[in-house]
Amino acid sequence: MSFSEKIDEWIKEAEARPASALLVLKLVANRLRELAEQNETLLNENIALRDGTRVEEYQKRITHLEYQLEILKRRVGSGAELPIQAEIPASLLIYNAHGRIARFVIDPAAPVFGKLDGEIVQDGEFPRLLAIPGDEEVLLLFTSGRIATCPVSGIQAMPPGAAWAWDKADLPEEPHAGEMLACIMPLSRLSLADSFMQASRRGCVKKTLTTVAQSILDNRYLGRGAIQKSDQPFDVLLAQKKERYALVTYEGRLMGIDVGDLSYAAEERIRISATDYIIGAFTIQPGQNILCVTQNGKVIQREAGFLEVAKTGASRGQALIPQARLDAGVRFVGAVAARDVDQLVALDATGNLSVHLTGDVAGAGSIRPGAVILSIGLIPTP
Amino acid sequence: MKVGIDFGTSNSGVAIYDGQRVTVLPIDRQNVLPEVVKTVLYVTRDYECFIGQEAIAQYYRDNVNRQRRFVKKWAGEIDVIGADMHFVRDVYVMVDEMKPGRLMQYLKTALRKEGFHGTQVFERFYTPGDLAQAYLGLLKQRAEQILGEKIDAVTLGRPVKFAATPEGDRRAEETLRAAAHAAGFEQVDFELEPIAAALDYEQTLEKPQNVIIFDFGGGTLDIAVMRLGGPSSGSGRKVYASGGVDIAGSDFDRAIIEKRMLQHFGLGRINHQPEILEMIQAVPDWMALPELATPLNRNTLEKAIRAGLAPARLKALQGLIYNDLAFTFYNRVEAAKIALSSQGATTISLDDSGIALWELYTRHQFESDIFDYLGKVEKVLLDTLAASGLEPGNIDAIVKTGGSSNIPLFAGMLARIFGAGKVKQSNAFSSVVAGLAIRAKAG
Repeated sequence: MSFSEKIDEWIKEAEARPASALLVLKLVANRLRELAEQNETLLNENIALRDGTRVEEYQKRITHLEYQLEILKRRVGSGAELPIQAEIPASLLIYNAHGRIARFVIDPAAPVFGKLDGEIVQDGEFPRLLAIPGDEEVLLLFTSGRIATCPVSGIQAMPPGAAWAWDKADLPEEPHAGEMLACIMPLSRLSLADSFMQASRRGCVKKTLTTVAQSILDNRYLGRGAIQKSDQPFDVLLAQKKERYALVTYEGRLMGIDVGDLSYAAEERIRISATDYIIGAFTIQPGQNILCVTQNGKVIQREAGFLEVAKTGASRGQALIPQARLDAGVRFVGAVAARDVDQLVALDATGNLSVHLTGDVAGAGSIRPGAVILSIGLIPTP
Repeated sequence: MKVGIDFGTSNSGVAIYDGQRVTVLPIDRQNVLPEVVKTVLYVTRDYECFIGQEAIAQYYRDNVNRQRRFVKKWAGEIDVIGADMHFVRDVYVMVDEMKPGRLMQYLKTALRKEGFHGTQVFERFYTPGDLAQAYLGLLKQRAEQILGEKIDAVTLGRPVKFAATPEGDRRAEETLRAAAHAAGFEQVDFELEPIAAALDYEQTLEKPQNVIIFDFGGGTLDIAVMRLGGPSSGSGRKVYASGGVDIAGSDFDRAIIEKRMLQHFGLGRINHQPEILEMIQAVPDWMALPELATPLNRNTLEKAIRAGLAPARLKALQGLIYNDLAFTFYNRVEAAKIALSSQGATTISLDDSGIALWELYTRHQFESDIFDYLGKVEKVLLDTLAASGLEPGNIDAIVKTGGSSNIPLFAGMLARIFGAGKVKQSNAFSSVVAGLAIRAKAG
């Protein structure tokens, strides 16, 4: 339909209902005013394009973007873990299921952390540890599948060395009724990663492409990544398509999965007994070993090559704890992928946080004789 | 607390009555009319459910620009039986394993559909009752949030004829009852929708009357020829005949888009690019639009824009498909249609990145665009009247309800057939749910 035909129809409306004539006139006049304003903007833009002002502006912007890209390339290097920058010291986050997060700034020369007083374990959930660069942003995943984000620098830092209790720790995002904080994930490598990898307590794994990350962050919802209602999310991390993902369970089972082989639906990838659950989920980078710690501080280390990759369905995985030790009550409390030069942080039942060189504890086969370990974390060495 | 719920084919609503005043709850704050919530259900891969505009918005958010990966999956097997042979053949379907969720509408129709036992949503099978339960459960949850107290009983509306056969009718009602119980309502009872729509009117009657309920909403036109009793209610009530047709507001929105809007997206300028024409022709179908948002289509549009084929219009089409603007666009069209029931002209405009759409739209244009529907509606009305055995002269009043009944073209038709004095206006968007709330209060 041509524009003149449209005008004829407006005239017909005015003829049929004279009261509409004034309304049509007002609507057309409003449009004319808008178009006149737009016309002036376009004329200005045209002048800027013709005299080269706009071209210069774009050239400056391109130069600035190229500089930023170069900086980003230097930061991420070969795609390995983000280096901890010297000028902004890294932080250790200790968090519990109630959403409380304590942040300690890590002194690279002699890391000292306070002693956790009072009730250490709340609702049967052990605290968890995460070392992270100070200029990072973190994603908080709750057991309902809801997410929240906050900068690490926004979490109140605790004074090093002093005793502290959970009520002194920061609460950047309070869990809603009926949900708990499942885990915390660093977010700055999001644009460089291919997918989010979620693991549930009962061994379900779900992959979500980072191409939908904007929608996930806008909706503040990633999903539980679990099939059973009674199951809960345990961990989420960012992974590349060709990486190898490992799950470690409380009763000492180890399962390897190729990230690229996983489907996008949550599916059970490790078949575990009724009393077992996932205590470690991580990707393995070149040069890293798998390091598992038992509740009495014994360390079991395996080379990355030990990990067998399961191609299909749910299997029981590889056993890391011999049956006799299992019968004696030995269980894992944590597992990480670490290099010998990295530092291992351990939280014991008295609330003390101790730092050890990974190579040393792997060699000695134990963290601290006599200590009851609740949780471990890793401080990667740049 | 007891509420009235109108579980409609295309729109639903919840209302309460305190003995003095009916309050229709603003269940869907994202809707043009917050008291009306679209009967659509979106189930994500994590089996999280959304309803109303939230469901549609989530559907768009999840589907626009998303990646797709089709994998071959075994769906079942077919027995092939010939004169002297019998073999079994496996059937495979291509499934998009990255599909983030499934949007479902016409949940009420599913209840009465013969031979429809349910649908597979990812790994779970949902019966029609499960779908109704999920929807009613969320409706209840939202109503409880607004009211701040627990709702334990409900009066649900039901059509005069739920299904073609009495057995189907009974089964559909029982399925809906079980779904309501499963959604958390301890006490569930039913009222006929036309009676609910006429309840306000019936209470004003001093003596019995022959009345036509003309319920012309968003999804369907339902007509019931009834005899209504006086305020003592019920005693003289009788349904002579009922009828309906799948013509309603959504068809008029579609007509506006097809006849007035598609040219803004390149119709008439693009002639020899079937892929692009297919995209343009899909614009009126709001459910199809996110499916178009594939990387392949984006490339096709980019190439055409670079080649100078109606670049401004194709940029607008690209913006509509990829910039999450479809939802806003359909709301603008619907708002224009509603405005034309009370004024002679309005505009449909959308100004966003890549789109500068402006259309002056008059009632004259609207009436010419939907004129074909007038004859069909008139025929259904007269057929239903004939089936009742009554003549137009025997009808004492026409009670019109539903948003589309306010369209002057149809209001004029009713006045022409029955006389302007007999046409009574009921609350267009909430008379059914209001009547159900009154019935709920009465117990």
